Amino acid sequence: MDQKVGQFWDRYVTKKASRFYEKSQISFEDKAKSLKIFYHLLGGDKAKELHITDKRFLKTSRTLLEKFSGKGKSFFLAWQDDKALYFPATLAYFEDKKLNDMHYYWLCAMLSHVNINSHNIINENKKMANFLIHKYPGFQDFYKNAEEFLLGKYPELSYINPLSEDLIDDNSYPNPLWIYPSVSNYTTLLDFNDEEEISRQDGKKDKTEELKMKKKAEQIDDDKETDGLLLFLPESLMSLMEQVNVDRQENDSFDEDALYNAEDLDEITLGKKDANLASRIKMDLDISANSAEDYPLGKGYFRDEWDYKKESYLKNYVCIKPYISLHVEPLPLPKRLEKMMKQIQAELDLMELDRIKIDNLPYGDEINLDSWIDYKGHQNHSNHPQRFFQSYKKKTRDMATLILADISLSTESGITQDIRVIDMIKDSLMVFSESLQKLQDSFGIYAFSSIRNKKVNFHIIKNFKEKYSDLVRGRIDAIKPGYYTRLGAAIRESAKILQKQQSANKLLLILSDGKPNDVDRYDGRYGIEDTKKAIEEVKQKGIIPFCITIDIEAKEYLPYLFGKNSFAVIRDAKKLPKVVTEIYMNLTK
Amino acid sequence: MSRTYYLPQSNEVELFEAAAGMNLPVLIKGPTGCGKTRFIEAMGEKLGRDVYTVVCHDDLSAADLIGRHLIDENGTFWQDGPLTKAVRNGGICYLDEIIEARKDTTVVLHSLADYRRVLPIDRTGEVIEAHPDFMLVVSYNPGYQNVLKGMKPSTKQRFLSLSFTYPKPDIEKAVIIKESGVSEEIAQKLVNIAGEIRRLSDSDIQEAVSTRLLIYAAKLMAKGFNPHQACMHSIVESLSDEEDVLEVLQKLISLHFSAS
Repeated sequence: MDQKVGQFWDRYVTKKASRFYEKSQISFEDKAKSLKIFYHLLGGDKAKELHITDKRFLKTSRTLLEKFSGKGKSFFLAWQDDKALYFPATLAYFEDKKLNDMHYYWLCAMLSHVNINSHNIINENKKMANFLIHKYPGFQDFYKNAEEFLLGKYPELSYINPLSEDLIDDNSYPNPLWIYPSVSNYTTLLDFNDEEEISRQDGKKDKTEELKMKKKAEQIDDDKETDGLLLFLPESLMSLMEQVNVDRQENDSFDEDALYNAEDLDEITLGKKDANLASRIKMDLDISANSAEDYPLGKGYFRDEWDYKKESYLKNYVCIKPYISLHVEPLPLPKRLEKMMKQIQAELDLMELDRIKIDNLPYGDEINLDSWIDYKGHQNHSNHPQRFFQSYKKKTRDMATLILADISLSTESGITQDIRVIDMIKDSLMVFSESLQKLQDSFGIYAFSSIRNKKVNFHIIKNFKEKYSDLVRGRIDAIKPGYYTRLGAAIRESAKILQKQQSANKLLLILSDGKPNDVDRYDGRYGIEDTKKAIEEVKQKGIIPFCITIDIEAKEYLPYLFGKNSFAVIRDAKKLPKVVTEIYMNLTK
Repeated sequence: MSRTYYLPQSNEVELFEAAAGMNLPVLIKGPTGCGKTRFIEAMGEKLGRDVYTVVCHDDLSAADLIGRHLIDENGTFWQDGPLTKAVRNGGICYLDEIIEARKDTTVVLHSLADYRRVLPIDRTGEVIEAHPDFMLVVSYNPGYQNVLKGMKPSTKQRFLSLSFTYPKPDIEKAVIIKESGVSEEIAQKLVNIAGEIRRLSDSDIQEAVSTRLLIYAAKLMAKGFNPHQACMHSIVESLSDEEDVLEVLQKLISLHFSAS
């Protein structure tokens, strides 16, 4: 059977390869961003992602789908489900590159209009194609040419010819201009004929999925709990390992294996003696090996936390542990950020930051005519301050900014396959530091993650006194996602640091990827209320808080936490580094 | 009969007239190019009052609004600012983009914007009582607000507020036809394009296409420009500098107006 499929596939591929114009091929990767915007333009759902489709191996008994897909063949078709749109990875049906390009836009337009739950997908496709070519003259030319061309090339496509509607036989080839139902949808279509039924079914599916997610989250929580226990009892872990190695009931006799194991055991015991804190944590919590070491600075400080139910502070409830990374390599600005940095610098140059006019001086470089005229017109000359000069001074912005980055475990999640949230946060921190350096603003960078109230790790990347250097960049690069987000505690600690600064204006900039949460009750209302309280305290101290987040759901809770104009949600995380700087410029102009 | 063309979107004309009759100040907010300034001009003509427009910027001082001493051959003399002129002679004082002005500048409006309706000028020691026909109108674009820029609540709460958006499709179509003289078919297409662009969220594009830009495009077409080119120059290039966005917008235009 396998062989048969293989042969068939081989035959098909050779046949297929000869049919495509590889020279004018357009790939989805280059178009993805534009297509997404185009999809939004046509009113598509903004929560949906755009992906490359897998091969659709369509093999069923004689069904509707099979009729227009061919028997058991696999194709790259355009389709969609509740979460995403799926496009072929490349398109090369046409000789003209422009047409292949247009083909992607056409599929995108079709995807935004075709109702995937429609029963008669052929009619639906025809209807929508008609609708589109009437609405957009640009598509009219494309569709007419494409249809003619494809019909000439693939006679199996005959069913798109309106004159021969019934000619759908086993040899027909799927129309590359059409949209096909998603796999799951297709089965529901078979089972239910009533649309209501389908939607009910969908609703159910969502619910079970949600349950699953919840369960998963709980499981993770449990894991962390045992980890936390082990953290404070490393010896018990050791003894366990010893037991496992020595207690070998089925193998009493002396043999090489046992010796080998004993050697291993010795190594472990030896290692235990001079294990430093970092490597012990690594072992206990199963964190991957890390060349940089986090070195604790002191035993930590205790801070209060707000309990909204008791409406009072829990005194010295949270333990903040400052850390600094040792043994980091100095790092120059990565090449990938250079272009962006140049752009930003050009913008900064335009702002003419260095010269500022100071009026009403008793002496100075130039006479200020306005104040002289004012003096002349003043009713009582002796009452006038008589300061007639102005001078230009190099501007010091007198701004202290503390950047607080959330490096909880959730930042490990991916934006695309290669880029994680944490990478974007690192890039943002670097670009941002460069800009602040250029502006000569004083700034500090801190990052945090937490495990319950016992341990809020507060990583010092750069304090206010340290000079910005390659070493700071090295520390940014060495940031690793940690545990949870006890935001309130981190904000209070940051406010303490900011308050010590002499600058007139103080800004607390928080980079985050989600809600405050922790393993304990901090996940939920408690955490939100504590964070809100912490922000109120910050504002009372005359510090401006501002939050930049990439959490799309953030609009639900951020206005409550920060107030309406004190946060920004960035949907496209790839723009984060640049946008962070832009927001800062606007904030401190 | 007013000379300035303005097509009402909803009840704004009645509301403005009522506010003018009761001597209440008005605040207008809305995105750029949706007709805020045009509305004020049309209302000024309708009510028979002069409009004194001040475009606010972050260097605008209270003296720029109230007035200052100037020199001539006889010494110094006092020159009224636009606000003072409107207060003395009656008329509509229209402060455009008020959030661009510093907050301490806008505080001079406070005594004018409540029941007192007086303007104290500390330089000359004068307190001017507002003319019965004096009316204060301010406008701003909520999209440009941020933490450090924005109106003080104490300023904001002295105004009746009118919120403008881009006009509804059929109104917008009528406006385009009237302003540029293009055919109904072209105007409809422009309105369709605008409808699609306005669906984009702020993460894709900074601000959506304004009615003003649509009229520019229509005017170019009426002059004989190829519709595709007209849209490229007036709509596409004006909206963004980012290549991805430009490419998509260009595509959208070529779908509506074939490039040839």
